[in-house]
Amino acid sequence: MENHCGTRAVSIMLKLAANKLALCSFSARLELNNTTKTMQKYEKLEKIGEGTYGTVFKAKNRESHEIVALKRVRLDDDDEGVPSSALREICLLKELKHKNIVRLYDVLHSDKKLTLVFEHCDQDLKKYFDSLNGDIDLDVVKSFMFQLLRGLAFCHSHNVLHRDLKPQNLLINKNGELKLADFGLARAFGIPVKCYSAEVVTLWYRPPDVLFGAKLYTTSIDMWSAGCIFAELANAGRPLFPGSDVDDQLRRIFKLLGTPTEDTWSGMTQLPDYKPFPLYQLSMSFTQVVPKLGSRGRDLLQRLLVCNPMQRLSADDAMAHRYFSDLNPAIKNDRC
Amino acid sequence: MAGNFWQSSHHQQWLLDKQDLIRERQHDLSILTEDEYQKIFIFFASVIQTLGEQLKLRQQVIATATVYFKRFYARNSLKCIDPLLLAPTCIFLASKVEEFGVISNSRLLTTCQQVIKNKFSYAYTQEFPYRTNHILECEFYLLENLDCCLIVYQPYRPLLQLVQDLGNEDQLFTLAWRIVNDSLRTDVCLLYPPYQIAIGCIQFACVILQKDHKVWFAELNVDIEKIQEICRYIINLYELWKQYDEKKEIQGLLAKMPKPKPAPQR
Ligand SMILES: Nc1ncnc2c1ncn2[C@@H]1O[C@H](COP(=O)(O)OP(=O)(O)OP(=O)(O)O)[C@@H](O)[C@H]1O
Ligand SMILES: [Mg+2]
Repeated sequence: MENHCGTRAVSIMLKLAANKLALCSFSARLELNNTTKTMQKYEKLEKIGEGTYGTVFKAKNRESHEIVALKRVRLDDDDEGVPSSALREICLLKELKHKNIVRLYDVLHSDKKLTLVFEHCDQDLKKYFDSLNGDIDLDVVKSFMFQLLRGLAFCHSHNVLHRDLKPQNLLINKNGELKLADFGLARAFGIPVKCYSAEVVTLWYRPPDVLFGAKLYTTSIDMWSAGCIFAELANAGRPLFPGSDVDDQLRRIFKLLGTPTEDTWSGMTQLPDYKPFPLYQLSMSFTQVVPKLGSRGRDLLQRLLVCNPMQRLSADDAMAHRYFSDLNPAIKNDRC
Repeated sequence: MAGNFWQSSHHQQWLLDKQDLIRERQHDLSILTEDEYQKIFIFFASVIQTLGEQLKLRQQVIATATVYFKRFYARNSLKCIDPLLLAPTCIFLASKVEEFGVISNSRLLTTCQQVIKNKFSYAYTQEFPYRTNHILECEFYLLENLDCCLIVYQPYRPLLQLVQDLGNEDQLFTLAWRIVNDSLRTDVCLLYPPYQIAIGCIQFACVILQKDHKVWFAELNVDIEKIQEICRYIINLYELWKQYDEKKEIQGLLAKMPKPKPAPQR
């Protein structure tokens, strides 16, 4: 914020606007002014993404020339005002200032739209994968994984669960930085979000406990997703469990890890949507799953991909894993 | 979110400097005396409290709404937005942020109409003038003026912990809790971190109840001067209250309050 738009100047503009408000001029004129303000401050460049909420644009601050990302949130429930889901993202990101978490600079509004102004990143991890042609540098894998864990550790230390980790929600820069994006959203409230885009909410990064209908979410949900993303990184973008529905998703997981039992995961059969699966045995070894990853990396992966959520590694412990002992110190010590 | 206060926007952006506050209020204080200004805020804190109680909100939500209200006017003149509109808007926003769930706008408006008519008719002779679109529009201004800092730390949790540490005296806890509520009618929530406010309120309660906890206070690792300052604010509030009859004076104060020119045509 500090270096962004000069909060004071904004608030002076607002005073002017607010004066009009007090004059009860809730007319189209006032709304028009707001729109103008948004349009004047940022020059829209191009569309960079489409999400559940609305469209994401790349834009340029006309004054500072800084490049930002604008995320439009539709407001369509007249009774709710600013949707709780958007409020959630706004207020969490305001508190979570960390170099591995995308920064929220500003929130603008016009008639029926709310625009969140974010720090711009070069691309999301999904698009990066698509550009790779199946080959990735193992140092990049290590660096991205470490930054993902560091962002997560920070969230978890603030009692914030991301809940929707997937490559599309991880942003990267050409200089090798990785940042968590697309925060909390309605999921933090446990209210299902309306699906605006045709894109189906993906199951690929969901842990078996959630697939079995577990309602009590803990930080372990993010650690499972981090494991899936780790394997995907190591395989240069080939998703680990690309399930097509809940059943298929669970079957893929159990085929790789072996079907859990009450002995390995006590309480599993009590979960709301539990159903028995064939007792697959640990079939493939992790050497086949992530052939390029060394033994330390495989060990870390195996400690993240544990069906029993109680036994999954925490973000802090994962960062201390010996897989990272030879991580470039410039990345490791790059504290925020 | 029970995050870390020291890294929070509350600590980093919203603990204001006394001199700044005075400067920001210059315009309003050229029209109102300091006492009159505070009386207006006392009145609207009661409006927010009453609305919140009527809507059966937790005290935490009510306190957050009151802090939003105070933060808004810490950066804006009273003439920017009619406080009678901002008060329910703060409740509306706070209940969403505190995950209390959305209060439907129609319920909020009905409650405003009832409360103004039944509890504050000594201040307002006309009925509550605002509608849904006003609240929704006002919510945006509030959000922007708060710079989107919506998570507010309150003294209630530290209060509970401190009183437990003191040996859980019910009487002390109840009184200190009330003093914390009263402190929302002063500037302390804009100036001091919540745990200091909690300590100040406990100390104040100890004085009233004539309890000697000097050793305990001495062992707290806290800036005693700050605690004294907080207590001063609270004493001043009670002094002001003693010689003030809101029912008689408030209409005059509201009439004198800075308003946009020309006056709103309600
Ligand atoms: N700050 C940013 N910089 C660059 N690209 C971004 C940025 N924010 C978002 N994007 C792009 O826009 C896409 C959608 O953004 P985001 O995930 O925040 O929206 P969403 O509506 O919450 O999506 P969903 O809930 O469907 O995942 C991202 O996958 C990314 O490609
Ligand atoms: Mg997304």
